[in-house]
Amino acid sequence: MTRLLFALLLAAATARAVEPAVFSLKTMTAQMKYDTAEMLVQPGQAVKITFENGDDLPHNLVFCQPGTDTAAMAMKQMEKPEEALKRNWLPDDKRIWAHSKMLNPHEKEVLNFSAPEKPGNYPYVCTFPGHALTMRGVLKVAPVGGTLHDLHFALYLGNWQQLPDFSKLKPHREGKIEDNLIQVKLDDYKNEFGVVFTGKLLAPKKGSYRFYLSSDDGSRLLIDGKEVLLYDGIHPAGDIKEQGVTLEKGEHEFRLEYFQGGGQIELYAAWKGADTQITPLSKWLHPKWKGGTKKQKEFEPIPLVVKDEAVIYRNFIQGAGNRGIGVGFPGGVNIAWSAESMNLALIWRGAFMDASRHWNSRGGGQEKPLGYDVLQPTGEVTPAFFVTDRPEAEWPKWDKTKRYEGFHWLGYSLDAKRSPTFRYTWQGAEVEESFAVEGNGNKPDGEAKLIRTVKVGRNVPANAWYRLGSGVFESKDGSFVSKGPLPYRITAEGAQMAGSNLVIPAKTGTMTITYQWAQ
Amino acid sequence: MKRIFILSLLSSSLFAADPVEADFYKITTFDTPKETALEVGSIDLMPDGKLVMGTRRGEIWIVSGAGSNDASNVSYKLFASGLHEVLGIAYNPKDKNLYATTRYEITRLKDADHDGRADVFENVNDNWGVSGDYHEYAIGSRFDKAGDLWVTLCLTGSFSSAVPFRGWALRIKPDGTMVPTCSGIRSPGGIGFDADGEAYYCDNQGPWHGSCTLQHLVPGSFQGHPGGNIWYDLAPNMGPRPVDPLPEAFQGERSRKEDRPGGDPDRMVTERERIKQLLPPAVYLVHGKIGNSASAIICDLSGGKFGPFSKQLFIADQSHSNLSRVYLETVNGIKQGVVIPFRSGFASGIIGGRMDEEGRVFVGGSDRGWGARGGKPFCFEKCEWTGKTPFEVHEMHAKPDGFEVTFTQPVDAATAGDVKSYSMREFTYAYREQYGGDEVSEILPKITAATVAADGKSVRLTISPLTKGHIHELHLDGVRSAEKLSLLHKVGYYTLNEIPAK
Repeated sequence: MTRLLFALLLAAATARAVEPAVFSLKTMTAQMKYDTAEMLVQPGQAVKITFENGDDLPHNLVFCQPGTDTAAMAMKQMEKPEEALKRNWLPDDKRIWAHSKMLNPHEKEVLNFSAPEKPGNYPYVCTFPGHALTMRGVLKVAPVGGTLHDLHFALYLGNWQQLPDFSKLKPHREGKIEDNLIQVKLDDYKNEFGVVFTGKLLAPKKGSYRFYLSSDDGSRLLIDGKEVLLYDGIHPAGDIKEQGVTLEKGEHEFRLEYFQGGGQIELYAAWKGADTQITPLSKWLHPKWKGGTKKQKEFEPIPLVVKDEAVIYRNFIQGAGNRGIGVGFPGGVNIAWSAESMNLALIWRGAFMDASRHWNSRGGGQEKPLGYDVLQPTGEVTPAFFVTDRPEAEWPKWDKTKRYEGFHWLGYSLDAKRSPTFRYTWQGAEVEESFAVEGNGNKPDGEAKLIRTVKVGRNVPANAWYRLGSGVFESKDGSFVSKGPLPYRITAEGAQMAGSNLVIPAKTGTMTITYQWAQ
Repeated sequence: MKRIFILSLLSSSLFAADPVEADFYKITTFDTPKETALEVGSIDLMPDGKLVMGTRRGEIWIVSGAGSNDASNVSYKLFASGLHEVLGIAYNPKDKNLYATTRYEITRLKDADHDGRADVFENVNDNWGVSGDYHEYAIGSRFDKAGDLWVTLCLTGSFSSAVPFRGWALRIKPDGTMVPTCSGIRSPGGIGFDADGEAYYCDNQGPWHGSCTLQHLVPGSFQGHPGGNIWYDLAPNMGPRPVDPLPEAFQGERSRKEDRPGGDPDRMVTERERIKQLLPPAVYLVHGKIGNSASAIICDLSGGKFGPFSKQLFIADQSHSNLSRVYLETVNGIKQGVVIPFRSGFASGIIGGRMDEEGRVFVGGSDRGWGARGGKPFCFEKCEWTGKTPFEVHEMHAKPDGFEVTFTQPVDAATAGDVKSYSMREFTYAYREQYGGDEVSEILPKITAATVAADGKSVRLTISPLTKGHIHELHLDGVRSAEKLSLLHKVGYYTLNEIPAK
């Protein structure tokens, strides 16, 4: 039974009857934004919006007539603040045609209304003082466009990294798609196949049209044999590609080529005319365009570039606790050190950090390393030192509400290349550690190394151990190679396995620990 | 440049009878370093006329030439970077080092090799918790008279305290030890000192705060938000934990505009009777009228170089991009006073501010996260007195039966002596757990007399009734100066915590 099944739906021309448009719109915590930048409805369509205030400031949702300068409208209230306060910051303005209450933090309200009959872009905004510049979006009222007809598919089998020339291949199977929506649904052939969809699209008049395409993996959209959009290669359906074209009035040949390498299978296509809204041509709707809404954009990246000096970034780094200190070293090797556990938390290669999460809006949230091959040699935010007569014992675990006892953070100094030496005390013993990079972490040659030097002062307690790694390690050529999904090598004199702990007896003196991504 | 000069000449001659703020206080906007977004979070003074600024992006910049009359003389040097939000920066004249208050630590920065860049970062104190919530800002002061630093710690969000000392003010002694000093903090926006060295901070509208406020940090006091009071066990020096205020508004959906026949239990003035450590706000920075996000506290110690408001406080606001002016007095041992609009029109949301000995106010900030009227994403600016004295309310003093209002210039006896030149409204805010709140319990008192002093510099108003705990909003629309000018700002909001006996 090696065959591909396409779902057959009864609904054909009436595939998209006018049902109420249902939206859920939330204010984003600490961002001064709604989570939804656009909502699409048809003229006169019944609209239900569940509006939830997820922020910890009051917000409302106020719909205005097209062309309203919403920021100016909200600002105008400041001329008579007493009156505005009495109206709970809802402007006394004829251009407002629907609105919520002023919701307190974490309140919810359901709005029901009919969309205006007149197509257009109806702005929505929060009219609380100071919010209107960023808390806004557009309710787009437009009729839907037409959908495909005479839609057929042709299935091809093959293992490709890019779209093949389907014209030179023989289809494995062909058929008609009754509901005229592009779709890939199968109970077999999860990998290594391609599909070519062909159909007809009616342009109601001469003018400019826009096409949208996203897929996992590669795809290409052609109109009348000409390529309009290409999204080739192996990739997730992250972006929606779009492109405008001019079409004559009448029927046009539509062709969509798609291939699947492995993993996720997703395919999205849509189009819009000058007077119609974005109308999906595919069954699957892209998450960035789900249920007729466009979600708020993430921040533009602000990568912290490491040149010939180390770069320090103290902020919330995912995996390094709440007192993380990121260090990007020249040579494409980066670390995050924790001033909570007084330990090296993460090591990674490539780019250092993206500061956009913390340098936009209110700066909340944990940010992942920007590079790749992220190593976390010991558990999350756990200290290296521990007193135990059983080095195979479980090391202390991070309790976010408490500080580790016996540790005192002293700070760090920078050398001429801005490379830090971290200092702290443990049970009265002074400890300092510094780092050096060999090789180039940006190169995949396996030569990049992080060399960590730990100097331990006097008064180390008896039965003290220093843990370098946790998990399964294999002893090999004087090193220990991690058997996890991302193999790496730890080399240190005196290192030994104790249960799932890679440890060294802790004593006064200097330890040199080398970390290297294994080949 | 020349064109602007001509324009300002024109406008001042056309509208000579109608002065504007800019006639008296001018704002200069500095260019900032192109390689960064200079989101100023804190400012302090350094020797030789230099300034130091900490930013939200974790940088510390040393600024030279900002005091010059030519704004193009300003220059910047990056002293340190990579810190976690510098919302407090302090120059220590004793050891000549800089101290930065960051998200989880007070850091002492040293330049050991004297190359103009910090190379030693020492932890002075990090004895407070950080749960990872974005709201847990730490706002630090400059050094007080005793050589201590003050830190105010925002709650975890608006309501609660997940880790130690969120919602507290702490003092850090010169040896690095920490003294828990006040509880009850919600969301601090700035911290500063008055002319006597007393510490204050600004809190922001939210739970237990109907409005932004200026609050006096009296050691041992409870500042009003009970969310952080779970940490009294860690602060034996603070004595027993205060009883909790009543979270009244959560008991029902009663409209806050209606008053209860038996009186409302959720009033600061009522709860003060029950909660002995509770200290009411010194001044309500009336929400939506004075500001929405109170931040820096700047005291005028220039001895007249910033105009007639010597020793008064200037309160910045992030969302309104403005400065307001506060005159404080002590009645029955408690600080209270009046807030009056002062200068609007800054380019972005103001967060940090400091005045130098020459009476120049340096401010800076960003609109990030909450929006600001100024419109620019960030700014660094200077506000200076032009030498012309505006006709303004100078001070407002509570009296047993009304207020004494003093002016910066002699008044016209006819208008200032006419009760019809004034109007007053009294109101308060519910003291309750719910976010923000309306102006409630409105009272429109009678102004029964307005008596002008012999020197024409003050007026004694008799008001019936005065209401303890209410904000007394005084409008002086009809008052003219001896030169027949209207007041530049015709309203003041006096927080009457206490009515003096004499």
